[in-house]
Amino acid sequence: MTIDLQALVQPDRVHKRVYTDPAIFELEMDRVFGQAWLYVGHESQVPNIGDYFTTRLGREPVVMVRHTDGAVNVLYNRCPHKGAKIVPDGSGSAGKFLRCLYHGWTFKCDGSLLSVPLRSGYEDTALDLKAQQHSVRKVARVASHRGFVFASLAEEGLELVEFLGGVATSLDNFCDRAPDGEVEVAGGVQRVIQRNNWKIFFENLHDTIHAVATHESSWRAAKEEFESMPAGTPKPFEVVIVDGNGEPLEFWEKLELKGYDHGHGFMEGIFVPPTDPVSLAYVAALQAKQGEARADQILRVNRHNTIVYPSCSPHTSFQQIRVIRPLSVDRTLVEIFSFRLKGAPEATFQRTLKYTNIVNSPSSNVMPDDLEAYNRVQEGLASDGGDWVSMHRGMGRDQPLPGGRSSNGNSEMPPRNMFAAWASYMGVQTGAAE
Amino acid sequence: MNFNDWQEQQDITKFLFNEARLLDEHRWDEWLRLFTPDGLYWVPLVHGQTDYLNHASLFCEDALLRSMRARRLEQARAYSQQPPTRTVHVLGNISLESRTEAGCVVRSTFHLVEWRKTEQRAFGGSVLHTLRREGAEWRIEMKRVELVNCDAPHEALQVFM
Ligand code: FES
Ligand SMILES: [Fe+2]
Repeated sequence: MTIDLQALVQPDRVHKRVYTDPAIFELEMDRVFGQAWLYVGHESQVPNIGDYFTTRLGREPVVMVRHTDGAVNVLYNRCPHKGAKIVPDGSGSAGKFLRCLYHGWTFKCDGSLLSVPLRSGYEDTALDLKAQQHSVRKVARVASHRGFVFASLAEEGLELVEFLGGVATSLDNFCDRAPDGEVEVAGGVQRVIQRNNWKIFFENLHDTIHAVATHESSWRAAKEEFESMPAGTPKPFEVVIVDGNGEPLEFWEKLELKGYDHGHGFMEGIFVPPTDPVSLAYVAALQAKQGEARADQILRVNRHNTIVYPSCSPHTSFQQIRVIRPLSVDRTLVEIFSFRLKGAPEATFQRTLKYTNIVNSPSSNVMPDDLEAYNRVQEGLASDGGDWVSMHRGMGRDQPLPGGRSSNGNSEMPPRNMFAAWASYMGVQTGAAE
Repeated sequence: MNFNDWQEQQDITKFLFNEARLLDEHRWDEWLRLFTPDGLYWVPLVHGQTDYLNHASLFCEDALLRSMRARRLEQARAYSQQPPTRTVHVLGNISLESRTEAGCVVRSTFHLVEWRKTEQRAFGGSVLHTLRREGAEWRIEMKRVELVNCDAPHEALQVFM
């Protein structure tokens, strides 16, 4: 059965099947995840030669590994002999070589075959040990932007920096915020299982207006907590990052949303930079290293979630990256990596972890209501109660930007922008996002 | 290490059973009052985790965060608590880990059955209670819940374990 994708996507609405049809999910793995640059990890996760970190790019299990020449390679985690995964899931050190557990074939950390046991057994056979196909296959393209490693399963396509377009500045600011200009992954990874299509999660990242409704339970609890404190108590960081969701719709309206080609975008920071002692000490450390003028310039780039479609969402002001890994049409894994700003006081990193624990973790006070909303959407879409999903709000009012478009905070420009990219990966036309 | 006598063992066992019951009956206010003002409720993210400041956790909640969570669970519009999570704790293997002047550390194991909406989940692990004696009462200085599957990907974890 062929699917008429063209009939499912229009500039201002999409058919529910794009969220519920397992066949469309498989096509997405080929066409969206098979073409785009996907976030793999950060170079600091493999600091030494032989260090590895495994993940998946779409359906493909891959391993990021540091070679003896210092380069970071991304290989398919599959032995060219009989197919075993060469390194176990997770991260660790492979030593100088990758050695398959099954029959002991050994590879350099760039995947090239080094030796096989019983070499004589292959003499006069059709199997040529020098041939490329007996090395671990490299992912087609790998590139790094300031330590953030991306890979593409497609041989051809844009350079990484062209692909990133306007959101490259979010990754730059992520690093610039470190007094030493560099960041590193630290403090463990949180994992959340969601019962929803991966696109529902992405679309929610810039769905500003849901916060006041969906998160009422958490922002009300935070506000009540603060009200019960003695008058004059400075608002604790824990309260600031939760009660912000309770801002009225006029507040969100004033925020600017930016959408860039290929589905990316970002949303302005929703928190006034916090003034708790930890945050102030951090600003002082940045100023001491970078000078006041430069520090001011860096901190003025104040962003909430950035979308790097279709694989991750960095949060630059509290230093995390959420990596989105579709598992099936209605199940998605989100992995949350925290980063340390090199040269910042230790307490700054502890503040980052607080944000991770309180806002993003499976046990946060905020996420469960999102998960409930996503799940009700997924279940509702499977019903016969209607066929279309609306993205009409603010249609026709976007302002052009170089390589993109901007809108006010209440517009549904971001999902329209993401679907324009989705359609182009899938080989159909929506017309432009605007 | 052993309990001093049957009475002490009985005393601590009753304290733990009562704590579990408060949680299972959603008597959050009474549960919050079991903690010392600087008490910590901690569910590590990885096995053998020693640090909750420089490493992410599943729960790492001081008085403010515990109270915020309890308040949230009670909100009329806590959508992910429609219907509320129901739990039952089964405790076992209660033993004395160590003793200090002010109190003691008690280790127990637990099985937690959780039900919400359409599904039952099971959690299990051990708990280290650092207890402080306050007159005739015990107070919790630290409740460290070590889940067997702490590092697994989880769906929402909403109620205290
Ligand atoms: S499968 Fe790897 S050496 Fe045989
Ligand atoms: Fe949300």
